Amino acid sequence: MNVQVLILSGVVVMLVLVVIVQSLQLRRDTQQQVKDSAAPKPVRVSEPTAAELETKLKAAYEAKIGEATVTFGTDLQATSTRLTEQVSRLTTTVIEEELVAYQKTLEEVRHVAIQAMEQIHEAVEHQRVELRDGMEAELAAEKKLLADKFDAKMGDVVSSYISEALGSGVDLGAQMQFILTSLEAHKEEIRKDLLNGV
Amino acid sequence: MASKTFQLPPAVYSPALVESVIYDIQYYLDWVRQNQIRKTVGAKAKDEPTHSAETVLVINAWLAGKPASVESLEGLLAALHALKLPEVHIMLAALPNQSQREALVTWFRTNVSPSLLLSFVADRNLGGGVVVRTPNRVFDFTWKQQLISGRSKLAGILKRV
Repeated sequence: MNVQVLILSGVVVMLVLVVIVQSLQLRRDTQQQVKDSAAPKPVRVSEPTAAELETKLKAAYEAKIGEATVTFGTDLQATSTRLTEQVSRLTTTVIEEELVAYQKTLEEVRHVAIQAMEQIHEAVEHQRVELRDGMEAELAAEKKLLADKFDAKMGDVVSSYISEALGSGVDLGAQMQFILTSLEAHKEEIRKDLLNGV
Repeated sequence: MASKTFQLPPAVYSPALVESVIYDIQYYLDWVRQNQIRKTVGAKAKDEPTHSAETVLVINAWLAGKPASVESLEGLLAALHALKLPEVHIMLAALPNQSQREALVTWFRTNVSPSLLLSFVADRNLGGGVVVRTPNRVFDFTWKQQLISGRSKLAGILKRV
Protein backbone atom coordinates (compact mmCIF):
# COMPACT_ATOMS: atom_id res chain seq x y z
CA MET A 1 0.00 0.00 0.00
CA ASN A 2 2.78 2.35 0.92
CA VAL A 3 4.57 1.34 -2.27
CA GLN A 4 1.57 2.36 -4.33
CA VAL A 5 1.47 5.69 -2.58
CA LEU A 6 5.14 6.12 -3.27
CA ILE A 7 4.66 5.22 -6.94
CA LEU A 8 1.81 7.69 -7.28
CA SER A 9 3.79 10.34 -5.52
CA GLY A 10 6.68 9.63 -7.94
CA VAL A 11 4.37 9.97 -10.92
CA VAL A 12 3.12 13.29 -9.61
CA VAL A 13 6.67 14.46 -8.99
CA MET A 14 7.62 13.32 -12.52
CA LEU A 15 4.76 15.26 -14.04
CA VAL A 16 5.71 18.32 -12.07
CA LEU A 17 9.29 17.88 -13.24
CA VAL A 18 8.12 17.54 -16.87
CA VAL A 19 6.15 20.77 -16.55
CA ILE A 20 9.10 22.53 -14.97
CA VAL A 21 11.51 21.21 -17.62
CA GLN A 22 9.18 22.29 -20.43
CA SER A 23 8.75 25.69 -18.86
CA LEU A 24 12.50 26.04 -18.55
CA GLN A 25 12.97 24.90 -22.17
CA LEU A 26 10.41 27.44 -23.33
CA ARG A 27 12.10 30.17 -21.35
CA ARG A 28 15.48 29.14 -22.70
CA ASP A 29 14.13 29.21 -26.25
CA THR A 30 12.66 32.61 -25.62
CA GLN A 31 15.88 33.85 -24.14
CA GLN A 32 17.81 32.35 -27.05
CA GLN A 33 15.53 34.12 -29.42
CA VAL A 34 15.98 37.33 -27.49
CA LYS A 35 19.70 36.78 -27.46
CA ASP A 36 19.68 35.96 -31.12
CA SER A 37 17.65 38.99 -31.79
CA ALA A 38 19.99 41.01 -29.60
CA ALA A 39 22.99 39.72 -31.42
CA PRO A 40 24.61 42.24 -33.45
CA LYS A 41 23.76 40.38 -36.63
CA PRO A 42 22.76 42.59 -39.12
CA VAL A 43 19.54 40.78 -39.74
CA ARG A 44 16.93 43.05 -40.77
CA VAL A 45 13.42 41.99 -40.18
CA SER A 46 10.66 44.17 -41.16
CA GLU A 47 8.17 45.13 -38.62
CA PRO A 48 5.25 43.21 -40.08
CA THR A 49 7.46 40.14 -40.29
CA ALA A 50 8.59 40.61 -36.69
CA ALA A 51 5.03 41.07 -35.64
CA GLU A 52 4.02 38.00 -37.59
CA LEU A 53 6.87 36.02 -36.10
CA GLU A 54 6.00 37.18 -32.66
CA THR A 55 2.42 36.25 -33.20
CA LYS A 56 3.43 32.81 -34.41
CA LEU A 57 5.82 32.35 -31.54
CA LYS A 58 3.22 33.46 -29.13
CA ALA A 59 0.69 31.09 -30.63
CA ALA A 60 3.19 28.22 -30.55
CA TYR A 61 4.12 29.05 -26.97
CA GLU A 62 0.52 29.21 -25.90
CA ALA A 63 -0.22 25.97 -27.78
CA LYS A 64 2.63 24.25 -25.93
CA ILE A 65 1.52 25.70 -22.65
CA GLY A 66 -2.07 24.61 -23.32
CA GLU A 67 -0.87 21.16 -24.37
CA ALA A 68 1.26 20.84 -21.22
CA THR A 69 -1.59 22.13 -19.11
CA VAL A 70 -4.00 19.62 -20.61
CA THR A 71 -1.52 16.78 -20.13
CA PHE A 72 -0.80 17.90 -16.60
CA GLY A 73 -4.51 18.28 -15.92
CA THR A 74 -5.23 14.80 -17.25
CA ASP A 75 -2.40 13.29 -15.27
CA LEU A 76 -3.38 15.26 -12.23
CA GLN A 77 -6.97 14.08 -12.54
CA ALA A 78 -5.87 10.46 -12.92
CA THR A 79 -3.50 10.84 -10.02
CA SER A 80 -6.19 12.49 -7.98
CA THR A 81 -8.60 9.67 -8.83
CA ARG A 82 -6.01 7.09 -7.87
CA LEU A 83 -5.15 8.96 -4.74
CA THR A 84 -8.80 9.19 -3.83
CA GLU A 85 -9.21 5.50 -4.45
CA GLN A 86 -6.11 4.79 -2.44
CA VAL A 87 -7.16 7.06 0.36
CA SER A 88 -10.57 5.46 0.31
CA ARG A 89 -9.04 2.01 0.34
CA LEU A 90 -6.60 2.99 3.05
CA THR A 91 -9.36 4.53 5.08
CA THR A 92 -11.50 1.44 4.68
CA THR A 93 -8.61 -0.82 5.64
CA VAL A 94 -7.71 1.33 8.62
CA ILE A 95 -11.30 1.46 9.72
CA GLU A 96 -11.61 -2.27 9.28
CA GLU A 97 -8.42 -2.87 11.22
CA GLU A 98 -9.53 -0.46 13.90
CA LEU A 99 -12.89 -2.13 13.98
CA VAL A 100 -11.25 -5.54 14.34
CA ALA A 101 -9.00 -4.19 17.10
CA TYR A 102 -11.98 -2.55 18.72
CA GLN A 103 -13.96 -5.75 18.46
CA LYS A 104 -11.06 -7.70 19.96
CA THR A 105 -10.71 -5.21 22.79
CA LEU A 106 -14.45 -5.30 23.30
CA GLU A 107 -14.33 -9.10 23.42
CA GLU A 108 -11.51 -9.00 25.97
CA VAL A 109 -13.37 -6.46 28.06
CA ARG A 110 -16.50 -8.57 27.82
CA HIS A 111 -14.51 -11.65 28.85
CA VAL A 112 -12.96 -9.81 31.79
CA ALA A 113 -16.36 -8.43 32.76
CA ILE A 114 -17.88 -11.93 32.59
CA GLN A 115 -15.06 -13.28 34.75
CA ALA A 116 -15.51 -10.46 37.22
CA MET A 117 -19.25 -11.09 37.24
CA GLU A 118 -18.68 -14.78 37.86
CA GLN A 119 -16.26 -14.01 40.69
CA ILE A 120 -18.73 -11.57 42.19
CA HIS A 121 -21.47 -14.12 41.79
CA GLU A 122 -19.34 -16.80 43.46
CA ALA A 123 -18.41 -14.42 46.28
CA VAL A 124 -22.04 -13.46 46.77
CA GLU A 125 -23.08 -17.10 46.73
CA HIS A 126 -20.34 -17.96 49.22
CA GLN A 127 -21.40 -15.08 51.43
CA ARG A 128 -25.00 -16.15 51.15
CA VAL A 129 -24.16 -19.73 52.12
CA GLU A 130 -22.02 -18.54 55.03
CA LEU A 131 -24.73 -16.17 56.15
CA ARG A 132 -27.36 -18.88 55.88
CA ASP A 133 -25.19 -21.37 57.80
CA GLY A 134 -24.44 -18.77 60.43
CA MET A 135 -28.08 -17.85 60.76
CA GLU A 136 -29.10 -21.48 60.91
CA ALA A 137 -26.47 -22.16 63.59
CA GLU A 138 -27.60 -19.11 65.53
CA LEU A 139 -31.21 -20.14 65.18
CA ALA A 140 -30.40 -23.67 66.31
CA ALA A 141 -28.43 -22.34 69.28
CA GLU A 142 -31.25 -19.97 70.16
CA LYS A 143 -33.77 -22.77 69.78
CA LYS A 144 -31.69 -25.05 71.98
CA LEU A 145 -31.27 -22.29 74.55
CA LEU A 146 -34.99 -21.67 74.61
CA ALA A 147 -35.71 -25.40 74.78
CA ASP A 148 -33.21 -25.81 77.62
CA LYS A 149 -34.73 -22.86 79.44
CA PHE A 150 -38.16 -24.30 78.88
CA ASP A 151 -37.03 -27.71 80.10
CA ALA A 152 -35.39 -26.24 83.16
CA LYS A 153 -38.45 -24.14 83.93
CA MET A 154 -40.74 -27.08 83.29
CA GLY A 155 -38.57 -29.26 85.51
CA ASP A 156 -38.66 -26.59 88.21
CA VAL A 157 -42.39 -26.20 87.82
CA VAL A 158 -43.03 -29.92 87.99
CA SER A 159 -40.65 -30.55 90.87
CA SER A 160 -41.99 -27.53 92.74
CA TYR A 161 -45.49 -28.77 92.11
CA ILE A 162 -44.56 -32.23 93.31
CA SER A 163 -42.82 -30.93 96.43
CA GLU A 164 -45.70 -28.52 97.13
CA ALA A 165 -48.22 -31.26 96.54
CA LEU A 166 -46.34 -33.63 98.76
CA GLY A 167 -45.91 -30.93 101.39
CA SER A 168 -43.89 -32.00 104.36
CA GLY A 169 -45.03 -35.57 104.15
CA VAL A 170 -42.46 -36.91 101.74
CA ASP A 171 -42.73 -40.67 101.91
CA LEU A 172 -39.17 -41.79 101.39
CA GLY A 173 -40.22 -45.38 101.93
CA ALA A 174 -42.34 -45.29 98.81
CA GLN A 175 -39.35 -43.96 96.89
CA MET A 176 -36.83 -46.51 98.14
CA GLN A 177 -37.60 -49.00 95.41
CA PHE A 178 -37.14 -46.32 92.75
CA ILE A 179 -33.93 -45.10 94.42
CA LEU A 180 -32.43 -48.58 94.71
CA THR A 181 -33.42 -49.42 91.13
CA SER A 182 -31.77 -46.22 89.89
CA LEU A 183 -28.62 -46.98 91.90
CA GLU A 184 -28.59 -50.57 90.66
CA ALA A 185 -28.80 -49.36 87.07
CA HIS A 186 -25.73 -47.17 87.52
CA LYS A 187 -23.69 -49.07 90.07
CA GLU A 188 -20.83 -49.77 87.65
CA GLU A 189 -20.40 -46.06 86.90
CA ILE A 190 -20.54 -45.16 90.58
CA ARG A 191 -18.06 -47.85 91.49
CA LYS A 192 -15.69 -46.89 88.71
CA ASP A 193 -15.77 -43.24 89.66
CA LEU A 194 -15.33 -43.94 93.33
CA LEU A 195 -12.39 -46.30 92.81
CA ASN A 196 -10.73 -43.92 90.34
CA GLY A 197 -11.29 -40.98 92.63
CA VAL A 198 -9.54 -42.51 95.63
CA MET B 1 -5.97 -57.12 117.18
CA ALA B 2 -7.08 -55.92 113.77
CA SER B 3 -4.62 -55.22 111.00
CA LYS B 4 -4.01 -51.89 109.30
CA THR B 5 -6.91 -52.42 106.88
CA PHE B 6 -9.44 -51.95 109.61
CA GLN B 7 -13.01 -52.45 108.45
CA LEU B 8 -15.51 -50.17 110.10
CA PRO B 9 -18.72 -51.79 111.32
CA PRO B 10 -21.70 -51.08 109.02
CA ALA B 11 -23.25 -48.81 111.64
CA VAL B 12 -20.35 -46.40 111.32
CA TYR B 13 -21.09 -45.17 107.85
CA SER B 14 -20.51 -41.41 107.82
CA PRO B 15 -17.53 -39.09 108.33
CA ALA B 16 -19.39 -37.43 111.20
CA LEU B 17 -19.82 -40.77 112.93
CA VAL B 18 -16.15 -41.60 112.44
CA GLU B 19 -15.23 -38.24 114.00
CA SER B 20 -17.59 -38.91 116.87
CA VAL B 21 -16.12 -42.38 117.43
CA ILE B 22 -12.57 -40.97 117.38
CA TYR B 23 -13.57 -38.34 119.94
CA ASP B 24 -15.16 -41.03 122.12
CA ILE B 25 -12.16 -43.30 121.94
CA GLN B 26 -9.78 -40.43 122.68
CA TYR B 27 -11.88 -39.63 125.73
CA TYR B 28 -11.88 -43.29 126.73
CA LEU B 29 -8.09 -43.49 126.26
CA ASP B 30 -7.63 -40.47 128.51
CA TRP B 31 -9.82 -42.14 131.09
CA VAL B 32 -7.80 -45.37 130.86
CA ARG B 33 -4.53 -43.44 131.32
CA GLN B 34 -5.86 -41.43 134.26
CA ASN B 35 -7.25 -44.58 135.78
CA GLN B 36 -3.88 -46.27 135.55
CA ILE B 37 -2.27 -43.33 137.35
CA ARG B 38 -5.00 -43.34 139.97
CA LYS B 39 -4.52 -47.04 140.40
CA THR B 40 -0.75 -46.50 140.83
CA VAL B 41 -1.17 -43.79 143.46
CA GLY B 42 -4.05 -45.64 145.12
CA ALA B 43 -6.65 -43.06 144.29
CA LYS B 44 -10.24 -43.93 143.67
CA ALA B 45 -10.93 -44.73 140.05
CA LYS B 46 -13.39 -42.58 138.12
CA ASP B 47 -16.42 -44.15 136.55
CA GLU B 48 -15.94 -45.44 133.06
CA PRO B 49 -17.37 -42.98 130.56
CA THR B 50 -20.34 -44.03 128.53
CA HIS B 51 -19.85 -44.78 124.83
CA SER B 52 -22.12 -44.48 121.89
CA ALA B 53 -23.32 -47.67 120.30
CA GLU B 54 -21.08 -47.02 117.26
CA THR B 55 -18.02 -46.54 119.49
CA VAL B 56 -18.72 -49.78 121.28
CA LEU B 57 -19.01 -51.58 117.95
CA VAL B 58 -15.70 -50.11 116.74
CA ILE B 59 -13.84 -50.92 119.97
CA ASN B 60 -15.20 -54.45 119.99
CA ALA B 61 -14.30 -54.95 116.35
CA TRP B 62 -10.76 -53.69 117.07
CA LEU B 63 -10.10 -55.59 120.30
CA ALA B 64 -11.74 -58.80 119.07
CA GLY B 65 -12.39 -59.98 122.63
CA LYS B 66 -9.07 -58.86 124.15
CA PRO B 67 -9.01 -56.43 127.10
CA ALA B 68 -8.58 -52.74 126.36
CA SER B 69 -5.14 -51.24 127.01
CA VAL B 70 -3.50 -47.91 126.35
CA GLU B 71 -1.46 -49.43 123.50
CA SER B 72 -4.45 -51.10 121.85
CA LEU B 73 -6.54 -47.93 122.07
CA GLU B 74 -3.67 -45.84 120.73
CA GLY B 75 -3.39 -48.34 117.88
CA LEU B 76 -7.12 -48.03 117.22
CA LEU B 77 -6.92 -44.22 117.18
CA ALA B 78 -3.97 -44.33 114.81
CA ALA B 79 -5.85 -46.74 112.54
CA LEU B 80 -8.94 -44.53 112.56
CA HIS B 81 -6.87 -41.42 111.81
CA ALA B 82 -5.12 -43.27 109.03
CA LEU B 83 -8.37 -44.25 107.37
CA LYS B 84 -8.70 -42.59 103.99
CA LEU B 85 -12.07 -43.80 102.85
CA PRO B 86 -13.89 -42.52 99.80
CA GLU B 87 -16.93 -40.44 100.61
CA VAL B 88 -20.28 -40.50 98.89
CA HIS B 89 -22.85 -37.80 99.54
CA ILE B 90 -26.47 -38.81 99.22
CA MET B 91 -29.15 -36.17 98.77
CA LEU B 92 -32.77 -37.19 99.26
CA ALA B 93 -36.09 -35.42 99.54
CA ALA B 94 -36.08 -36.15 103.27
CA LEU B 95 -33.62 -37.58 105.73
CA PRO B 96 -33.87 -41.40 105.75
CA ASN B 97 -34.94 -43.25 108.85
CA GLN B 98 -32.71 -45.94 110.27
CA SER B 99 -33.98 -48.79 108.14
CA GLN B 100 -33.81 -46.74 104.97
CA ARG B 101 -30.30 -45.57 105.90
CA GLU B 102 -29.23 -49.13 106.57
CA ALA B 103 -30.66 -50.24 103.25
CA LEU B 104 -28.69 -47.58 101.42
CA VAL B 105 -25.48 -48.19 103.37
CA THR B 106 -25.77 -51.93 102.77
CA TRP B 107 -26.41 -51.41 99.13
CA PHE B 108 -23.37 -49.16 98.72
CA ARG B 109 -21.05 -51.35 100.76
CA THR B 110 -22.23 -54.46 98.91
CA ASN B 111 -22.34 -53.13 95.38
CA VAL B 112 -19.80 -50.34 95.30
CA SER B 113 -17.12 -50.75 97.97
CA PRO B 114 -17.10 -52.32 101.43
CA SER B 115 -15.05 -49.43 102.78
CA LEU B 116 -16.67 -46.14 102.06
CA LEU B 117 -18.40 -43.41 104.02
CA LEU B 118 -21.83 -42.02 103.28
CA SER B 119 -23.31 -38.73 104.30
CA PHE B 120 -26.99 -37.92 103.96
CA VAL B 121 -28.48 -34.53 103.12
CA ALA B 122 -32.15 -33.66 102.71
CA ASP B 123 -33.58 -31.24 100.15
CA ARG B 124 -37.34 -31.32 99.86
CA ASN B 125 -37.18 -29.43 96.55
CA LEU B 126 -35.96 -32.64 94.97
CA GLY B 127 -39.49 -34.00 95.16
CA GLY B 128 -38.29 -37.56 94.85
CA GLY B 129 -35.35 -39.70 93.87
CA VAL B 130 -31.72 -39.34 94.88
CA VAL B 131 -28.60 -37.39 93.98
CA VAL B 132 -25.33 -39.26 94.49
CA ARG B 133 -22.16 -37.18 94.61
CA THR B 134 -18.92 -39.10 94.31
CA PRO B 135 -15.47 -37.47 94.36
CA ASN B 136 -15.59 -36.73 90.63
CA ARG B 137 -19.20 -36.90 89.51
CA VAL B 138 -22.78 -36.17 90.40
CA PHE B 139 -25.35 -38.82 89.56
CA ASP B 140 -28.78 -37.27 89.45
CA PHE B 141 -31.56 -39.83 89.75
CA THR B 142 -34.21 -37.38 90.86
CA TRP B 143 -37.69 -37.21 89.47
CA LYS B 144 -36.93 -33.76 88.19
CA GLN B 145 -34.04 -35.11 86.16
CA GLN B 146 -36.18 -37.96 84.92
CA LEU B 147 -38.76 -35.45 83.79
CA ILE B 148 -36.18 -33.32 82.04
CA SER B 149 -34.52 -36.27 80.32
CA GLY B 150 -37.92 -37.45 79.14
CA ARG B 151 -38.87 -34.07 77.73
CA SER B 152 -39.67 -35.56 74.33
CA LYS B 153 -42.40 -37.55 76.03
CA LEU B 154 -43.59 -34.39 77.72
CA ALA B 155 -43.78 -32.61 74.37
CA GLY B 156 -45.72 -35.52 72.95
CA ILE B 157 -48.13 -35.47 75.84
CA LEU B 158 -48.58 -31.71 75.52
CA LYS B 159 -49.37 -32.17 71.82
CA ARG B 160 -51.93 -34.81 72.59
CA VAL B 161 -53.62 -32.75 75.28
